[in-house]
Formats: sequence, C-alpha cells, structure tokens
Amino acid sequence: MADKPSIFDEGVECVKSLCYFCHANCGVLAYVKDGDVIKIEGDPNYSSQGGLCCRGTSALLHVNHPARINHALKRVGEKGENKWEQIDYDQAIKEVAERLNQIKAESGAEAVASAGGTTRTDDWARRRFLNQFGTPNGFHNALLCWIPTFMAETCVAGWSPFETDLGAAKSLILWGMNPGASTLGGMHGYTDLQKAGLTIIVVDPRYSETASKADLWLPLRPGSDSALALALLHTIIFEGLYDFQFVDKWCDGFDELRDHVIDYSPEWAAPITWLDPDQIRQAARSYAMNKPGCIQWGCTWDQNGRASTTASHALALIRAICGNLDVPGGDGMPGPALNFLTDEEMEANECLPEEQKAKQIGSNKFKLTSWPGYQLISDNARRKWGKTLPSEWFCEAHGPSVFKAILTGDPYQVRALICNATNPVNSYGDAKMVLAALKKVEFLVTVDYWMTPTALQSDYVFPAAGALERPTIVTHYGATDSLMGGRRAIQPKYDRHTDMVFWRKLGLACGQDPAMWPWETEEEAYWDIIQGIGLPISSYNEFVDNVRMYYPPLHQMKYENGGFWTPSGKVECNSSIMRQLGYVGMPTYIGSPENPIDTPELLEEYPLVLTTGGGIMPYHHSEHFQMQGIRYIYPDPYFSINPETASEMKIAQGDWCWIETRRGRIKMRAGVEPVVAPGVIFCPRGWWFPERDAAADPDNPFGCLESNVNVLTSVDDWDCDCMGGSWANRGLLCKVYKCNDLDNAYKPEDAQWSIPGSASEPGVTVMPSDQKLCREPIPFEMPQPTKEVPEGFVWTWQDDQLYQESTGFRLDESGWLIDPKDKGYVDVYTGWRYDANQDCLFDAATGQKYTMDREPIHELAGIRIYPGQAESGFELPANLVWDIEKGYATKPGHENLVYNPDSGWLVDPETNVFYEVTNCWAYDPTFNGLLDMATGKKYTMEYEEIAE
Amino acid sequence: MTRNVMVIDQRRCIGCQSCTVACRTWNELPLDIVYNPVMTDGVQGNWPNVHRNWLPTLCMHCEKPACVPCCPTGASQQDEDGTVWVDYAKCMACLACVNACPYGMRDQSKLEPRLHRFVRKCTFCRDRRAEEPGSMPYCVQTCHQKARIFGDLDDPESEVSKLINSVETFRLLEDLGTGPQIYFIPDLGGKA
Repeated sequence: MADKPSIFDEGVECVKSLCYFCHANCGVLAYVKDGDVIKIEGDPNYSSQGGLCCRGTSALLHVNHPARINHALKRVGEKGENKWEQIDYDQAIKEVAERLNQIKAESGAEAVASAGGTTRTDDWARRRFLNQFGTPNGFHNALLCWIPTFMAETCVAGWSPFETDLGAAKSLILWGMNPGASTLGGMHGYTDLQKAGLTIIVVDPRYSETASKADLWLPLRPGSDSALALALLHTIIFEGLYDFQFVDKWCDGFDELRDHVIDYSPEWAAPITWLDPDQIRQAARSYAMNKPGCIQWGCTWDQNGRASTTASHALALIRAICGNLDVPGGDGMPGPALNFLTDEEMEANECLPEEQKAKQIGSNKFKLTSWPGYQLISDNARRKWGKTLPSEWFCEAHGPSVFKAILTGDPYQVRALICNATNPVNSYGDAKMVLAALKKVEFLVTVDYWMTPTALQSDYVFPAAGALERPTIVTHYGATDSLMGGRRAIQPKYDRHTDMVFWRKLGLACGQDPAMWPWETEEEAYWDIIQGIGLPISSYNEFVDNVRMYYPPLHQMKYENGGFWTPSGKVECNSSIMRQLGYVGMPTYIGSPENPIDTPELLEEYPLVLTTGGGIMPYHHSEHFQMQGIRYIYPDPYFSINPETASEMKIAQGDWCWIETRRGRIKMRAGVEPVVAPGVIFCPRGWWFPERDAAADPDNPFGCLESNVNVLTSVDDWDCDCMGGSWANRGLLCKVYKCNDLDNAYKPEDAQWSIPGSASEPGVTVMPSDQKLCREPIPFEMPQPTKEVPEGFVWTWQDDQLYQESTGFRLDESGWLIDPKDKGYVDVYTGWRYDANQDCLFDAATGQKYTMDREPIHELAGIRIYPGQAESGFELPANLVWDIEKGYATKPGHENLVYNPDSGWLVDPETNVFYEVTNCWAYDPTFNGLLDMATGKKYTMEYEEIAE
Repeated sequence: MTRNVMVIDQRRCIGCQSCTVACRTWNELPLDIVYNPVMTDGVQGNWPNVHRNWLPTLCMHCEKPACVPCCPTGASQQDEDGTVWVDYAKCMACLACVNACPYGMRDQSKLEPRLHRFVRKCTFCRDRRAEEPGSMPYCVQTCHQKARIFGDLDDPESEVSKLINSVETFRLLEDLGTGPQIYFIPDLGGKA
C-alpha cells in the first residue's frame, strides 16, 4: 500500500517518548508528522532495549480511540444516567472550584477527598493542591502496592532496599511477582542473567509465566506468605546461614530476634503453607548460601490483608542478616535524590496545618502509612539522609475508610471526592460498598481517559491526556536518586489536559497563590526538578534528547560511612519506630483473614482458597478492556481451577460459574488447567464491560460488579493489616458453583452492600469507629531525655543524640552541627558551613565568607584583605609596603596591585594579570616568561633577557 | 546470498502476545487477521509437576513454498532472500494459496466484504527492511524477551547461524518437504 505514511517521509520527526501503560515505562520512539503520531516503535537505546508489550504497541489505538473522553462533561441527568452536557474546560474548572470552596467553608477542607489509581500522573501536583486546599485526605491504592513494605523496610534499615543489583547477584527471589505478565522489560533481564548463572526462586501459588522459567518454585498456599517468610528467617538463623560479621557489626537486637522466631520452624510452617519442610529449607539455603542475592518486592506482600506487613518485615530482616543490604549484587538503598528536587520537595507539605494532619481518615488505626508513622519516618529520614520521602503514596488516608466515611459519616462526613486516573469500583476492595459510596457522595469529580463506572456517577468528568500527549518523568515515586524521561510526542488532542494542568487550574480557581503554581507546562516543572543535576542543558526536552536516563555514580555500602539510616544508626531487628507507634517491633505470625486454622467454621460453606489481584496480559488493573485490538486476546473473564477440583464439581472448561465469598459473588468462566493447586481458585482483577450500555443497569453499570473480583475481597478493619492498612485480596475462603438456567444473571440483591462486608446482612451493622483492629495497640512509654535539650533541638532516644529541629542536622560532640547530605560541619549559631580548604565559614545564602570568629572576610581578586588592620599578618617582602586603609600589601608606585602572600605574586584586580615582586614585570603565559610593560622587553623566569 | 530465517527460542518466550499485537498495529490489520499467533496448550501435567510452553508462529517462508506455484496470477512470489510475499496489485483473492499453505499462515479473513480483496500474510516486514536496510521485523524488535531472532542464515557470523549450528532446533511439519525457514529452540527445562 503505497499511500501508507512512512516514517521516512519528509517532515517526520522522531520523538523520544515513554510508554505510560504500566510502571515499567518502556522507551518509545514516536514518529510525528503534522502534529500527529503516525507510528511508534520501542526505543532500542533505552533500558527496555526496543521491547514493547501489547499494551505499549497499542498506544496509537489508545490516543485515537473513539470512546476516549475529549471534552469536559457536566452531568445533566440523574447520577449514572449517562446524560452529559459538553462544556468549556475552564468553565468546568471554575464551577468545580466554587463548589469545593463552598464545601470547605461549610464543613472544613477535610470534607474533600481525592482518590488516585496507579501511576499515570504527577502525584506531587495533586498533593500540592490538597496541601494548599488544606485536606489530608488524598489516597491511592498505595496500601496494596509497595508502600507498607517500603515503610517496614525503612523501619528496619532506614530506606527500602529496592534497587536490586542483579548483574552481580547469584540468587534472586521473585516473591508474589510475575514479571512475565507484568513488567516484561524486567523479565528480559532476569532471563538473560539466569542464562549467565543467576539462580531464580519463584514464590507463587500459581504456575505463572515466571514460575515456568524458575530454578526453584515454591507453590505456597495463597495468603500464607507470612508463615513462609518467618520459616525462612528461622531456618537462616538456626542453621547459621546468616552473615555473622555483618550481624555482629551492624545489627541491633539480633539476640531478641533469634529468641522471637524460635518457634517458626519449617515444620511449623508446613501445614500452613502446604509446602514440604525440606522445600522451605532448600529455599533458605539457596538464597543465604548463594551470596550476594536479591529479593525482589512483589505486590502480594501488601495484599494479604492483616498478614501483609508481617511477611515484608520478615523478608526485610532476611535480607539484612544475610548481609545483602546495599552491597554489590545485593539490594541497593538509593536514598532520596540529593542533586535534584525530589517529589517531596514539589509537594508543599509545609502548607498543611498540623490540626489538619490529625484529621486524616484512618490515621488513628493504620499508623505506619499515614501521618503518625510518616512523621516519625520522615523526620528520621531528614536527619539521616538530609531529605525525605514524598507524602503522596507514603502518607495517605485509608481509602476504604474514606468510602465508609462517605456512607456513614464516621468519623465525619466526606462530601466531595475527586477521582484522578482511577476507577475505584474495580480497583479498590469491597466493590459493592465503593459503588454505593460513589453514588452517595455529594459531589464527585473524575479525571479519566474513558467513561468508567466511576466517571458515570460523577458530576463533572474531565478528559485526561494520555501517554503520547504528555511528557513523562520517572522518579520511582520520589524514592530514589535516578530519573528517566520522555518527551511529549504531540500536544493533547481536543480539550484533553494533563493532570498537573488540571490541579494547577483547579488550585488557581480555588484561590491558591499563583506564585505556588509557577509552571504552565510539565516541561517547565520538570526542568525545575532536574536543574540541580547541573547538566550542560537548558530545557527538559534537551535532557530527554541527550541524556534520557540519569543515574548518579553508584555508591554502595554507604552505611560504612555513618551507619544505617535508622534512628539508632544500625539495622534494627526490633524496630524502634514500630514500637513507638504501638506495634510489635519484630515480625509476629498472624494468619491471613480467612484460613482453615483460624476460622475453621467457614470451611464447610467455603471450602476453596481464593487468590486475586494477579495481573494478566494484556490488561493492567482495570484498563484496556475497551480496546478491541487487544481485548481479543483475552475477551472473557476466566478464573483458574485445577482439573481435579473442577471434575469433582463437574465444571468443564469455559463454563460460566459463580464464585462466592462471605461478602458476595461474581460470575466468571472456568479456565480448567493445573495452573493452581487443587482447592485453589485464582481470579484475575479489574473486569468490567465497557461495551455494555452504561445506563441499562444502575445497580451494575457497565457490568462493573458482575465479574469484578473486588466484590469478593475484604476491607473490614479487622481484616486489614494493622500497621500498613493493606486490605485482604489473597488467601480468602470461597466456593464455586456452576451457573444454571435459573441462576445465571446478576440480580439487584447481588449488588447489596454492607459494612462490614457481608452478603447476608446488607447495610451498616458495625460503625467504622467500632470496628476493632486485628491486633490491639501496645502502649509505648517514651524514655525521658538523658541530657539537657537546648531550645530548637530535639532529643532522639534511640541514639541519645540532639538534632536541630529546623534543619535536622545532628549536634556533634564537637559543638558543630553535621549535615547528613555531605557530612559537612555547620556552625550552630549562624548556620554557616565550615570550609576546610580555606579554614573559614561560608554562608551559602549570600556567598559571604567569614572567619572562624564569625567576622566577615574581605577579598579582592580572590586574595584575602584586611582593611583597617595596622600591620600585615605575614612577613612582607623587602620592597613592599602595607596599606592600612586598603588592608593589603602593595608596591610603592603600583598601589593598584595586591600582594598575595600565598603565591608570592602581585595581582592587578582589574585585569587579573600577575606581576613579580622585584621589578614589577608582568607574567606572560604565551611564552611562559616575564614582560616589562614599560619597555616591552621580555625576560625568562630567571630574569634573563630574551633577545628578539 | 542472503537467506532470511527466524529462530524462535521457546526457552525465552513467556506468551505475552506482544508480537501478535505489534504485528497487527504495524500492518494495520483488521481484528480477524493475525499473521503470527502465539499458540499454547496451556499448563500440562499433574500438580505440582507441571510445565508449559508457547509456540510463537508466523509464515514459515519455506524454501519451496507450496503457496507460490499454485498462484494463477503470479501475485504470490518469493524474493531471492527467501521472503514469501503477495503483490496486492496482482492478487485476485482466489484463495488458492490460502488452501495450499500447510501451516494456515495466510490470511483467512471471514470479514464480509473481504477487506481490499487480496490475500495478506507475514512478509518478514518487507516494507521495514526495504526502507531501512538492517532493520528487524516489527515482531522481533518489540519482543521484550528477545525470543524471536531474525537474520541471515548464509552469514556464519549472524546470531541465527550461530544458534542453529549450536543448539538443537526443530521445524514444523518438516517432512512435507517445503523447507520451512522458522527454527524453534525447544524448552527442555534447561536454562535459556
């Protein structure tokens, strides 16, 4: 077809862009002609090596899809009727801002909440808006995805050791993670390294794509991760497989930990995990004896409900005692970026008043990932690293509790919700309750690509710009010191806007200070972020064109210089931060919310184990179901069931079945294959049916509850992790039965919601604040200071040190403050830095130098001078005189020249020319000799005349 | 001489279907035409002793293609480098080649009316290679796992030559004598 546009046509520009359809952010080359993308390819010069998965290659279908929302929409019918009026974007912003301000005036800023999904957005911009607005109630699905793990790991070692140094590693544990269907760029690396000798251990109840390539596969019972992790920890300690030297030097409280885990033997774990004790020992030995090794975080760690953080805490300790922290081939701890602006520095957290922080919903229960825990961890990070974690993701309201607050008014009524890049009905737990909350909330605003079940309930829907229509910066949630970038291939089509522009416009319309929103485009904001790196470039686009991936020089074993970044400076086997928050400081076994040992009474009704949340190609969360070009690969929802279990129930491949838990039921088709153990059911996440008529069934719009696995999951407080707040997606009990002629349609009663989750008792039976946690808080008594604490300083009990409150700098025994960023000395009284080269103090704000007695230092042409001083402080050469008024030595007749006692030359401050002292001849670098300016004669450095 | 072949490494393929979708977007194919399906029997065996693999396919670009001599108009033809392709201008969609191909790798679209009235198939991205010599077929470039490897079998230094001459490979329906030019490295459980 000759008329097909070619990437080699005249006027086609190749733009380095990034894919934005999952977190891997693969490199994309977009070929742009006349403001439109004609083709895309994977970028072979990016870390993804030219690879793009089916989602990535469909970017063109995405940008031009007929179902995309292209204009701001205002609801004209009833909620959910799908009747809209198309209005001007700025007009919509104005109307929304007025309403939000009104709600704030009537009920306080905390009555406005905001839900986010996974990364498609500049989250710092949202937090910048929320902080200035004054509400602490922003949240994401963060508690199911890395954040509780990150916080537990930070309690143990001072930062999350998440940057695996795989190139030098000998073993790798992929736990609850299936890169073969989620992050393909990573899978490529694992496969290459496996060929080169890396041992890969996969922990997954499913024979996943990744498990099929593993060296050792541990098919544990879903939800038993905490038992397995503790048994591995036990084995490594009691078989003496840990790093004795490292533990001796760097671990605090190891003996307590050893005594604490003594009962968690492989034999103890075997019936819980369905694994053979020898399999557990083999895995422990394989990891601990193949050093260095890595443990890669997987989503499962944060999705086991109340057992979540126990597992990630135990795994953090396994890493530590095996000496795999921040070593070559181990798990690297990057810390915050010190040379460019972190996401936290973009968030304007100082704008949120203390009393508003206290109102954050869920922060009285799930403290590790909300203000109470974040404050402790963040203050400590500032003292140890010099910078801290973003509050977005790491310090958020408890999402399910916000939905409960909308429905019950407990702890207070949330009246407005802004959903940005998320469809909570399908992505948050207890979908029926979430849908009810979205229908009930007084004012709902959605920013999205598509008309989702959530957008359908909204008062205003704003169109979002997609991957090719925006520049992208990858800062890994602001938790690392590297960044990657992609350019905007085309300007947003129609009236689509990026999220930063949305929040900026909304902020300004709400009356926020324009000086707080200086950037009109992402490119301007990103340029501010990266300027500090000091690259010889002048814009963000230049960064992408020339650098694209920025990694600072790799520093490993940083703890050798100054210790770990915990409050005590060591790896804390018994975490002081967790204890201070009222939790056990060491991982203590707790079973997943429903299991045969803790809840045997459920077994008769619900004999099967359910695991959910796993990803399948070609979808990502609840996305891409409307794109026929990839939907055809996996058109219907299939659950996995072992052939043995299926034949007992006379279920055949493809049969539509009901899957039911205590909380409700959904319909999926049977995928009968031995991909899971007998008795285990796996359901993919996110299903809804965008092809259906939205308004046809208001109880179940777009079929969003019908095959939605989150109808089955639990968000009851006692099922949530008491530290991180993760709700229960895995290891639940369920039953499965075939749909029959009388019972094959989703009925209104199937959509009845309840708090707590129960299919048999609709409505609110226990108010949220009466819901207990799975563990009672343990009272913690703060030790009293052992020394006098001067004003402006805080005393930390873990290391018995004083830190300046405003800067976080440590007060050293020498009387100096120590800046953790560069370990430099800072004057306590003035904040001026000590400059060891010149033995002086330096005020970075003004550039002025001071003596050690804090007297200003005067300089002329870089030479220190002493105006008004009666005599020189150094020995004067014979033919020079001291000028008291000017404060420097000079040569009579040449009073403009300044003598530099360090070099022995006279310098002309105007021209910077050097003159020798005896004859006042100028130094001429062109012939490396001396020049008599008066006569024009030239001399060698030995004063011998050079003949012309 | 150049002899283009593809090696498909089953040890590396994880069945993500990226090649299939990439091919469809590059060639702008309607929904029911797939040049390069990835086949699988799913998970086999008895739990927990199970295994699975995937068979990415495409036109076999046979040495003696059955689909070329049967073409009444000469539209179905083969380049010197082995690429089998269809000249759409000459094709009248009689489907003789579709019936002749033992692999079912020619467009068998059931769309009515048939799109543009010609038979389509994989061309090893003839268009991409013609525009920019040395460029890879799109399915090869997009494969994260690098399970599809494309190159010149007559060049002893090429990756495909090295692989075919060092690792055990198999070809599909080899006994039919068409000389398929797609070589598969089986996943025998060892490391890739």
